[in-house]
Amino acid sequence: MIAEYGQLALTFALALSVLLAAVPLYGSFSGNQRALLQAKPLAIGLFIFCLLAKLALVHAFLNSDFTVINVATNSSSILPWYYQITASFGSHEGSMLLWILMLAGWTALVAIFSKGLPLLMQGRILGVLGLINIGFIAFSLFMSNPFARSLPFYPVEGMDLNPLLQDFGMIIHPPLLYMGYVGFAVSFAFAIAALIGGKFDSTWARWARPWTLAAWLFLTLGIMFGSWWAYHELGWGGWWFWDPVENASFLPWLVGTALLHSLAVTEKRGTFKSWTVLLALAAFSLSLVGAFLVRSGVLVSVHSFAADPDRGIFLLVFLLLVIGSSLALYASRMNSVRSQARYQLFSREVMLWGNNVFLLTATLVVFLGTLFPLFHKELGLGTISIGEPFFNQMFYYLTIPFALLLGLGPWVRWKQQPVKPLLGPLSLIAIASLVLALGTLAAMQSVQANLALLGLLLGAWVGLSALYELYQRMSQFGSVSKGAFKLHASHYGMTIAHIGFAVLVVGVAMTKTYSVERDVRMQLNDSISLAGYQFTLLEVYPLEGANYGGEAAEIAVHDKNGEFVSQLHAEKRFYTIQRTVMTESAVHARLSRDLYVSLGEALPDNAWALRLYVKPFVRWIWLGGLLMALGALVALLDKRYRRSGPTVSAVTPAEQANA
Amino acid sequence: MKIISGLFALFMLSLPVLATEEALRFDNEAQRQLYQQLTAELRCPQCQNQNIADSNAVVSVDMRQKTYDMIMQGSSRSDVLDYMINRYGNFVHYQPPLNRYTLLLWLAPLLMLLGLFALQLKRRRQQAAAQANEQLSGLAEEQPSATLDAELDKLIEQYRSKK
Amino acid sequence: MRKLMFYLPLALFLALALFLLSGLFSNPMERQSVTTDKPLPAFNLPDLMNPEKRWQPQQLHGETFLLNVWGTWCPTCNAELSYMTELREQGVKIIGLYYVLPADPVLGERFDLAELQADVSNKLQQRGNPYQFNILDFDRSLALDLGVSGAPETFIIDSTGIVRAHHIGDINPQVWRSKLAPLYQQWRQQDGVQP
Repeated sequence: MIAEYGQLALTFALALSVLLAAVPLYGSFSGNQRALLQAKPLAIGLFIFCLLAKLALVHAFLNSDFTVINVATNSSSILPWYYQITASFGSHEGSMLLWILMLAGWTALVAIFSKGLPLLMQGRILGVLGLINIGFIAFSLFMSNPFARSLPFYPVEGMDLNPLLQDFGMIIHPPLLYMGYVGFAVSFAFAIAALIGGKFDSTWARWARPWTLAAWLFLTLGIMFGSWWAYHELGWGGWWFWDPVENASFLPWLVGTALLHSLAVTEKRGTFKSWTVLLALAAFSLSLVGAFLVRSGVLVSVHSFAADPDRGIFLLVFLLLVIGSSLALYASRMNSVRSQARYQLFSREVMLWGNNVFLLTATLVVFLGTLFPLFHKELGLGTISIGEPFFNQMFYYLTIPFALLLGLGPWVRWKQQPVKPLLGPLSLIAIASLVLALGTLAAMQSVQANLALLGLLLGAWVGLSALYELYQRMSQFGSVSKGAFKLHASHYGMTIAHIGFAVLVVGVAMTKTYSVERDVRMQLNDSISLAGYQFTLLEVYPLEGANYGGEAAEIAVHDKNGEFVSQLHAEKRFYTIQRTVMTESAVHARLSRDLYVSLGEALPDNAWALRLYVKPFVRWIWLGGLLMALGALVALLDKRYRRSGPTVSAVTPAEQANA
Repeated sequence: MKIISGLFALFMLSLPVLATEEALRFDNEAQRQLYQQLTAELRCPQCQNQNIADSNAVVSVDMRQKTYDMIMQGSSRSDVLDYMINRYGNFVHYQPPLNRYTLLLWLAPLLMLLGLFALQLKRRRQQAAAQANEQLSGLAEEQPSATLDAELDKLIEQYRSKK
Repeated sequence: MRKLMFYLPLALFLALALFLLSGLFSNPMERQSVTTDKPLPAFNLPDLMNPEKRWQPQQLHGETFLLNVWGTWCPTCNAELSYMTELREQGVKIIGLYYVLPADPVLGERFDLAELQADVSNKLQQRGNPYQFNILDFDRSLALDLGVSGAPETFIIDSTGIVRAHHIGDINPQVWRSKLAPLYQQWRQQDGVQP
C-alpha cells in the first residue's frame, strides 16, 4: 500500500504544481493580491508531497518490496540498508524522483526566503518554478513511474543494485549534483520573472546572486565527488574522461560560473543586463539538455540510463516548451534594453567580460565536442568520436589566457583602472610565481619546460595574486587586522575560489606530467619499484561480503630508503546476483602523491595481475574543487545577501563600491 | 581486471616465470609512453564509451596487442592510427579527423571568442561616441544610473583620499 | 540587426532540437564500416573441422556469399543459427568465420581444438548448420583486418572477393528482408544468377 500512497502523493504534488503555476501567475497579471499570496503555501505543500512520495519509495526499497518493479530491478534483500536507500535513486525512475524532490525543495526554499521580495516578483518566480515542476512530475508519473507494480507476478529476489553504484560515492554524488542542476532553475525563474516584468535594474541580479551561488556550490561539489568516485571505483586511475554524461554536468557548471561573474557586473554596475539574463536562461537550459542527453539515449556513454525514445520525445517537447518559450520571451523583451554604464577598456567590467568570453568559449568547446558526433552522423557524414585528445588540446589553449586574466582581474577597479599602480604588485607576483614554479620543479629534480612548469606558473600566478590582492585590500582599512574584519565575506569567498582554481590547475598539470603506471604480474613476496616506491605483494586471501565474494590482496609499500610507507588493501569483488566483477582499488593518498593499486585476476603459478600507479598531486584536483565550493559557501555567508528587498536600498554606494 | 589476464593469457603463458614481470616489456621509455598514449586515444569499437586501455572487450585486447606489436616493430604513432582507422573508421580515434565539416570544431570556438571580444569593443566605441555627443550638446541629459555613477565615483575618490 | 541578434539563441536552440529529434530515431552505437568495397584482406587460415585444409581469399571467389563471424560462446550467434539455416535451405551461401575467444568459457585459457570442434558440432546439430564450412580465426587476425568489433557480424562478399556489405549485429527475418537480402540479390545478379 505504501507505494500506492507514494504515487498518490506524487499525484497531489502534480496538482499542487499546476496550482502553483496557475494561481500566482494569474495574480501577477491581474494584480490579484490574494492569488499572489497563495504562492508560498502552495510551494511548501508541493515540497511536502514530493517528500512523502520519496519517503514512500525509500520505504519500498528498505522493505525489499519486489512487487514494485523499480525495487525488483535495482535492489535486493541482501543489499546493505544504506545502499537500499541509494538504490532508490540508482535508476532512471528513482533518480527522476530525486530530481523532483530537489526541484520542489528549491521551490519551497525560495518561498520561505523571499520575504524581502516584492509580492509580484515572488509570485512570478514561484509560478515559473511551478511550471517547471509540472513538467518533471508529469514525466515521472506518466513516463517513468517509480511506483509501478508487477502484480500478480513478482520476483522473490531483486536483481540487485549495479555494483558500480554500491559505493560511498553514490550516496553523496547524485544528490549534490542534482541540487546543482536543479538549483539553476531558481536563477532561471528569477530571469524569467525579470523578463515578464520588463525590469532589468540591478535588483533582480542582487536577488538572483545568492541562489545562483548556492546552486553553483552544489554543482561544484557534485562534479568533484563524481570525479573522485570514478577515480577510486573504476580501477584505472582516471578522474575525468570527457564522457557525454560528464560533459552534461560540466556545461551548466561553465555557464553557471560565467553567470556568477556576470551577475556581479549587473548588480554593481547595472550593465551587461541582457547578457546576464541570457546566461541565467542558458545555465538551466543546459541542465535540461544534459538531462535529455543522459536519459534519451541519443549519445553513447558509459553512465547513461537505459534509452527509451518515448521518454526522449516527452523530454524534447518539454525542452522545446521551457527553453524555446523562454528564449522567445528573451528575444521579444530584450531588444529594448540598453545599458547606460560607462567604463574604460581597462576596467573590472572588461575583465569580467573576458572571464565570460573564455568560459563561454569553453562551453562551446564542450558542447560541440559532445554533440558534434551526433551532428556529423545525422548529416550523413559518418561516425566520428571526440574525446580526450580534442578536449585536452582545446582546454590547454583556453586555460592559459583565462588563468592570466584571472590573476589580473581582482586587481582591476570598476569603470577605470590606471595601469601604473598595478605594475609594481603584478611584477612582484610574476617574479614570485616564477621562483615558486621553478623551485617546486627543482625540489622534484625535474626542471624542464613541460606541462607541469606551465601549470605551476599559472597556478602560482593566480594563487599568489589572489592572496596578495586580499592582503592589499585588508591594509586599505588601516591595518591588516582591522581590514580582516571589515572585508566582506564575498571578497574572502572570491579569493578562496580563485585559489581553488589555482590548486586545480596545478593538480591537473602535475598529474598529467608525472603519473606513472605499470601492469605487472606478481607472486607472493615479489616486489617491484615504481617512481621511488617499492611495492611488495604480501598476501592474497578470499573475501566474503554481504552480496559479494572475491579476493583481497595486501601490498606493502616502502620508500626508496626502505622505510615502510603503507600497507594497501586492494579487492576484486564478484557480485553474486548481477554476476559482475568489480575492482576496489587501494589508494594511499597524500597531498604530494597517490599510490594506487588495483588487483587483477589470478594467473597460473600462484601469480596475480596487478596494476600500479603513482600519481603526483592528483589530490590537488579535488582539493581545488573543494576550495572553489568553500569559496562559494563563504560568499553565501555575506550578510548583504540576507538584507534583501526594501532594505537593499539602505546599502550605501560606498559599500557597493568596494565589493 | 580481465584486461590484464587477457593479455597474460596471450603472451605470458609461453614465457618463463620470472619474479615480478611487467605485462608488456618495452625497449625504452618512449615506446612505453607511445603505447600508453595510443591505447588511451583509441576507442573500443564495441563498448559504450571507453578507450581500449580501460576496456575488457576482446576487440580491445586484440587492438592493444596489435598496437604493442606494431610499436615493437618500430611503427610510428601515425602508422598505428592509420592501421586502426583503415579497419574501424574514424570512430576508433578520439581525435576527430580534420575535414571541412569538422573544421567547425576548432573554428566555431575561435570565432565565438573573437566575436564576443569584438562585441565589447563595439560597445565601448558606441559609449565613447555617446559621451562625446553629450559633451558637445552640453545638454547632459543624464540618466539616473549615470548620476548614481557620478556619485559613486565621488565617494570612491573621497574614500581613497582618506586613506 | 540588433533586434535580430536577440533571436539568435532561439534559432540556435531550435536547430539543436532538430538534431536531437533525429538523434532519437537513430542508433548511436551504429558504426559506419570502412572495410566495405575493398577486397578481402589476405589470410591463410585453417578450416575449423579439417585443420589440414587451409583457406585463402582466392579460394572463396566465384560466387557471392555471406561471411558470418560467430562463436559458440556468443548467445546472439547461437540464436541466429536457426534462421540462417533457413536461409541456407533457400540457397544462400554462408561461410562461417569462427571467432575464438582469448579465454573461452568452455575451453578456458588454453586452446583445445578437439574440444572446440566437439562444441561446434554439438551446437550446429542442436540449432541447425547454416555453414558451408567454417574458417578458424584462432588469433582473430582476419576479424581485426575486417574491422570486426565482436560477434555476430556478417559480411556480403561478391564473386570477385570484394567486401560489399558489413552488418554489425544479428541476422533476423526483419534485418535480412530490409537490409541484407536486397544487397545479396543485387550482387548475386552481378554473378549472373537470377533470383
